[in-house]
Amino acid sequence: MNAMMVHRGPDDEGCFVDACGVALGARRLSIIDVEGGHQPIGNEDGTIWAVLNGEIYNHPALRRELLLRGHELRSRTDTEVLVHLYEDYGDALVHALEGMYCFAIWDARRGRLLLARDRFGEKPLFYRASGGRLTFASELTALQSGLDAADAVDPVSLTAFLALGYVPGAASMVSDVSQLPAASVLTWRLQDPVARVARYWRLPDLRPSATDSLEAMTAELEVRFADAVRSRLIADVPVGVLLSGGLHSTLVAAYAARASNHPVRTFTIGYDHGDVNETDDARHVAKLLGTEHREMVLSSVNVADLVPALLGRLDQPVADPALVALHAVCGLARDHVTVAVGGEGADELFAGYPRYRWLAVSSQIARAAPASLLQAGAGALNAAALHDRLGRLAEVLSPASAVERHISWVTDGRAKTTSDIWGRALRDLSEPFDPVVDAGQVIARSGVIGTLRAFMTLDQERWLPDDVLAKADRSSMLASLEMRTPFLDRSLAEFAASVPISMLAGPRDKHLLRTLFERELPELGGARRKTAFRVPLAEWMRGPLRPAMEAQVARGSAFAEEWLDRSAVNALVDQHVRGRADHARLLWSVLAFGCWLDTQRGTSTL
Amino acid sequence: MTRPRVLVTTPDFPPSTGGIQRLIAQLVSHATGWETLVMTLDHPDSGHTSAPVPTLRVANTSAFRQASIARLNVATVRQGLAWRPDAIVSGHIVTSPGALMLGGLLRLPTVQYLYAKEIAVRPRLARFSMERSTATVVLSKHSAAVALRAGAHEERLHVIPPGVDVAERSPRLGGRAEIPTVLTVARLADRYKGFDVMLRALPLVCAQLPAARWVVIGDGPLRGELERTARAWGLNDSVVFCGHVSDEQLDGWFASSHVFAMPSRLPADGGGEGYGLVYLEAAARGLPCVAGNAGAVAEAVIHGETGLLVNPTDHVEMAGALVALLDDADRATALGAAGRERALVLSWDRMAAATEALVADLIASRT
Repeated sequence: MNAMMVHRGPDDEGCFVDACGVALGARRLSIIDVEGGHQPIGNEDGTIWAVLNGEIYNHPALRRELLLRGHELRSRTDTEVLVHLYEDYGDALVHALEGMYCFAIWDARRGRLLLARDRFGEKPLFYRASGGRLTFASELTALQSGLDAADAVDPVSLTAFLALGYVPGAASMVSDVSQLPAASVLTWRLQDPVARVARYWRLPDLRPSATDSLEAMTAELEVRFADAVRSRLIADVPVGVLLSGGLHSTLVAAYAARASNHPVRTFTIGYDHGDVNETDDARHVAKLLGTEHREMVLSSVNVADLVPALLGRLDQPVADPALVALHAVCGLARDHVTVAVGGEGADELFAGYPRYRWLAVSSQIARAAPASLLQAGAGALNAAALHDRLGRLAEVLSPASAVERHISWVTDGRAKTTSDIWGRALRDLSEPFDPVVDAGQVIARSGVIGTLRAFMTLDQERWLPDDVLAKADRSSMLASLEMRTPFLDRSLAEFAASVPISMLAGPRDKHLLRTLFERELPELGGARRKTAFRVPLAEWMRGPLRPAMEAQVARGSAFAEEWLDRSAVNALVDQHVRGRADHARLLWSVLAFGCWLDTQRGTSTL
Repeated sequence: MTRPRVLVTTPDFPPSTGGIQRLIAQLVSHATGWETLVMTLDHPDSGHTSAPVPTLRVANTSAFRQASIARLNVATVRQGLAWRPDAIVSGHIVTSPGALMLGGLLRLPTVQYLYAKEIAVRPRLARFSMERSTATVVLSKHSAAVALRAGAHEERLHVIPPGVDVAERSPRLGGRAEIPTVLTVARLADRYKGFDVMLRALPLVCAQLPAARWVVIGDGPLRGELERTARAWGLNDSVVFCGHVSDEQLDGWFASSHVFAMPSRLPADGGGEGYGLVYLEAAARGLPCVAGNAGAVAEAVIHGETGLLVNPTDHVEMAGALVALLDDADRATALGAAGRERALVLSWDRMAAATEALVADLIASRT
């Protein structure tokens, strides 16, 4: 299993095998205590063992606290801190941790295993519990290599993936394999070999009222954000910043520059194809901040080779096209640094998506206007929907439920139409994934009140861990680069939850973050376009990726095994290529699943 | 010289509750050398309580606090012209306009009280009142430093720490509860008091002392958020939000708790605790304190002597300190006893005498 994850940790590997047949293994990317950080690591008498994937940012403070209480630590690593925290706090040690992590702790005295995943799901953890056996790993592929036979596609997960572009929640693309949800622990005992999952944290729904001024909130944000960035720069190896030139990554780069004594290294990416190019923005920011800036151009020639190969290397498919750009910029960064800091999570916590405001407005309209009028308005807009945005506006105005409107928005309306391309293997499903039902359940479980907070919670529970962070983790780890995200600092996130919605999202989207930006970085100019390593997807699917797409439809396992319907997908490809419609995102999902399944089956259409 | 007539104008005065209210009430009760008139805002309960000195109240519409304050300032000037005081004491910067106008008209010395957080909230008014007042009184060296940074004149700045009620509130030794109890007493209004850090620390405390509980006394706009957080994190059994309690009940909680804790930090926009009177009140009852090593609090709690000071944003350190005291009764008792010794020295009589001396000096230098 270790051998399947060399990319996650090329520097070292280690194994621990207990007399009773329990084994822990780890691959290591050396960042803290490069020499002394071998894993697994045990306590003084060898009764407690731990492996850690990720980073505990507050480990220096935790170490001081442990030494004060008389613990003896042999290394400077965060993994060893886990072992001793467990001795004092047991499972509650998760409440002491700030970081991105998944870890396993084997307690030989009690014959008990503890698995845990960080609060937002930055680091992945897959497991399979059956027949009294528990197997777990950071990546699905590694887990599969350790199982007897687990390569069956989970059909419900596939329908979810086609609708959303990622596999949501506790399921995985492989039958019988689960993903430990964010902010959860799993316990398992030799005497009672059942996996028990419990959630240990959630972002509280504070429903704050505006008692604090915008100035006071901005000042508080400044302090917490500066702390969050500073704590994520701690490393014994060089650290860089992935700079798209947008608001979030610019804030990260600026605060990283303030916190370090030497010039910060920044990295960005551009294209020779399509109308999306972020290099000018990023270069401008880099110049003003005085960073050591490097950029690369992804040419359409590269895309044709690189994309199918990358999609095939994913342990679980993620159909977010930004993965390609992010992976490329991670590759560039890896030539110069081992750790990079990015702006992920800001949109979800600080109401960065414009849709939040649109959907909130649409709910107000829906309450005020008669349905027939809305239907007519939406119909007229749909008829005129030559432009993508108008189509979305039509969706927003349609007299559907708020959750339906949200799902329709985030999936570009494809959630309703993906069943058209289901193959025979999916058509007989009694209960295919329904994104609207799932979203309703997530919102209901959270108990959150208010339309906008509800959608933010939904995004924090689904989109953030299963798309944004899965993408960030895989694209960086496939380049053997560690990626850190200051916006997902616990204290910063809990602060964001205490900011009234009127200050977060109004009078403009991400109002509070923009206020900070304007106050602290006036020299960089006010309005930042929203850019997050976007890719010219529609052009790619018509141009450089068309051969791969056609080969996939003709020979891919996804079609041979009848997960997808060949003629339906062919029709979509045809419409897209001719410019009659934009099916880029759905076709991208097809390509991502197809390339992944081909790797599973050991075949290739390339 | 006959007893000087001192007009005290303050928006905060009992029966409304809070640190400033207590401070001004104790000042006017213990400054027996003065003939005092208090000008303040009306309060729904003011009919049922007797003020220690003659008090005039101005109509208070809580929805329009600024209008009420303006009325108080106008009334202070009008009443002052009739009453003819020898000196004016302003309990809060919002009453400085009336105090200063009256002082200007009658050529009287004005003494302005300054805490900490209002400097951040109303920097211009704070600077104005410090510049024009004859003297500015702060409660701690920390507040003095904040005031100096905000433009105070060093020669007109006086540090007079408040007193602590000791005699009538002696600890009932041996009355501590069976359940390990951490106590916080505060208005639930200011985030800098670190309630969030307490909630984060609590699961770690309970991991080591499962029966431990955190008792929160006081009310305010943050209560809903704190209760919702406690619920979301499954801490319902470990936190008790008591809201407002009577003095007798408060004494009961002080007597039965084991540790007083409030990790106040320095808020981002400056200010914070002006003094931290509540730590000394807890100490006077023999309770060891766990507090943040930030600002004025570090003057109220002596680390290792009367309590433990921790990094107020580090909930793990906070939990460590709480468990250290909850789990070691001898150490907690020793720190509590030392805190009481120290609090005994800080009496209201001493505080009032120092203020009376200051006012006498100012009057003398005027004439």
